[in-house]
Amino acid sequence: MLTKSLGVLKYGFVILIVLLSLGPFLWVLLASFKTNAEILSNSLGWPSSFQFSNYTKAFQIAPISRFYINSVIVGIFGTLLNLLLLGMAGYVLARFQFRGKKLLMGAFSLSLLIPGAAMLQPLYLTVNALGLYDKLIGLIIVYTGFGLPVSLYILSSYFLTIPKEMEESAYLDGASFIQTFFRIILPISKPGFGTAGVMQFLLCWNEFQFAIILTTGNQSRTLPLALYYFKSQFASDYGVMFAATMVVIIPSIVVYILLQEQVVSGLAAGAVKG
Amino acid sequence: MVRKNRGYITLFLLPTVALFIIVYAVSLVILFGTSFTEWSAGRSPVFTGLANYIKLFTDDADFRQSALNTGIWVVLQSTVHVAIGTLFAVILSMKEFYWKFARTVYMFPNIISGAAVGMLFLCMLNPEFGAVNSIVRLFGNADYSQNWFMDYATAFLSVTMTWLPYAAVVTILILAEIAAIPESLFESARIDGASNFKINLYIIIPMLRNIIGTCVILSGTSMLQKMDIILMTTGGGPGNATMNLPIYIYKTALMDNNFGYSNSVGVFLIGFGLIFVLLCRNLFRIGSSEH
Repeated sequence: MLTKSLGVLKYGFVILIVLLSLGPFLWVLLASFKTNAEILSNSLGWPSSFQFSNYTKAFQIAPISRFYINSVIVGIFGTLLNLLLLGMAGYVLARFQFRGKKLLMGAFSLSLLIPGAAMLQPLYLTVNALGLYDKLIGLIIVYTGFGLPVSLYILSSYFLTIPKEMEESAYLDGASFIQTFFRIILPISKPGFGTAGVMQFLLCWNEFQFAIILTTGNQSRTLPLALYYFKSQFASDYGVMFAATMVVIIPSIVVYILLQEQVVSGLAAGAVKG
Repeated sequence: MVRKNRGYITLFLLPTVALFIIVYAVSLVILFGTSFTEWSAGRSPVFTGLANYIKLFTDDADFRQSALNTGIWVVLQSTVHVAIGTLFAVILSMKEFYWKFARTVYMFPNIISGAAVGMLFLCMLNPEFGAVNSIVRLFGNADYSQNWFMDYATAFLSVTMTWLPYAAVVTILILAEIAAIPESLFESARIDGASNFKINLYIIIPMLRNIIGTCVILSGTSMLQKMDIILMTTGGGPGNATMNLPIYIYKTALMDNNFGYSNSVGVFLIGFGLIFVLLCRNLFRIGSSEH
């Protein structure tokens, strides 16, 4: 009896998880193919015919494609820059002893403890002073910095697992420091870079609060802001609003499904530090 | 090797150090420095001593409400949320299939933008066409239209609900930790005649102390950041029912143009977070002993 009710409870929980995680998503997906009238009259039902025009309309609202391109640029360059810089720093921190190392590590891990929201105004000021306000490059630099603690942790932990003999034999063969790093270390660290890269890409793709204060025009705004700004513009056209929401969500889901091993191990790696 | 490579070490560290200075160090200096000033855009800061802090604690109802809401949310996240996530993990750990499934489905809300999650819930809870009201109507209440996010009585809880899917991170972390417990431990427990329930209670849960502590910290501190979902759904309203510290900082800095004051709230937020993290580390004795 007890095991039976435990079994029911177990399935109950699994169903609850599905409802919570997939329910809103599927409901909006379905609604994105409906007409306005259907959304209002038949909010739980199946669309009578699929309105793909909602999606074409969502893209016709010009800035959405601009926002999309911006997000792609910020995502790609914010990730590449982060991986390159933190890969270099992580390697040195994982491999060499030098004066000031403890201080540096302490300072870097301090960045984990600062809630981003506290830095809203100061960063706005800095980015402004550097002449990067309302420019994609400003967002890229800020996001590269935000990914500092997580990427540093994932990458340097990965470098620690590489046997030192690899580099020693490279040195014996006459490779320089730079050659060793780029030709030997980088290629064998692909899994580490994969994990850190996915985490960093999702950060860039989803970030909202700094995007909203560091940009002003449609020229440099990213996708999460598209939703915020079009919330009122779509107020009368629900189907298009739903379609636009799906357009923003789908890339993250695709990236996640393709790379979920990396995301999960990244989460686990990031958490061990506490 | 070090002497020979000193130049390269510096070269490899320099960009990251510069990044740290630009993004974090300069910000902290500005934050603390200007929190003692009266300062708005286009003007120079004027030193006013502790005036901002005195006003903060004695004469600012909006701040009190924001801090209170933030506090309640931190507590809810780090208790209810972690409890739900842990419970899911223990249940899901029983079958490999569940684990893979949860990993895929349960994580969806965690990898899409908070703005999009806000949008999903905004639509779900819409008074006219939202799924939630439609379901309630199905059960007979013909003219039901609750405006969940805009009604003072329901706004706070509605916003709190939107964070439930984020318990998935807790679940994933704990599942990973459970997977790392050596199988031999379970076997010997089973040989000794322990039931599944007892194995959970006496073996799994105690071994998870460290990771649960970590989850409490992660979940709690994530609440010191929440802005996108709140801006999407309620904007902090109605009144200031769902205002929290990040939104209050955003409002005072960029809408009221009150930089100095906003930065004193930022200092408060950092202090709040530090105290929370230190309390949790002590409570869970994180890092003190490994299993």
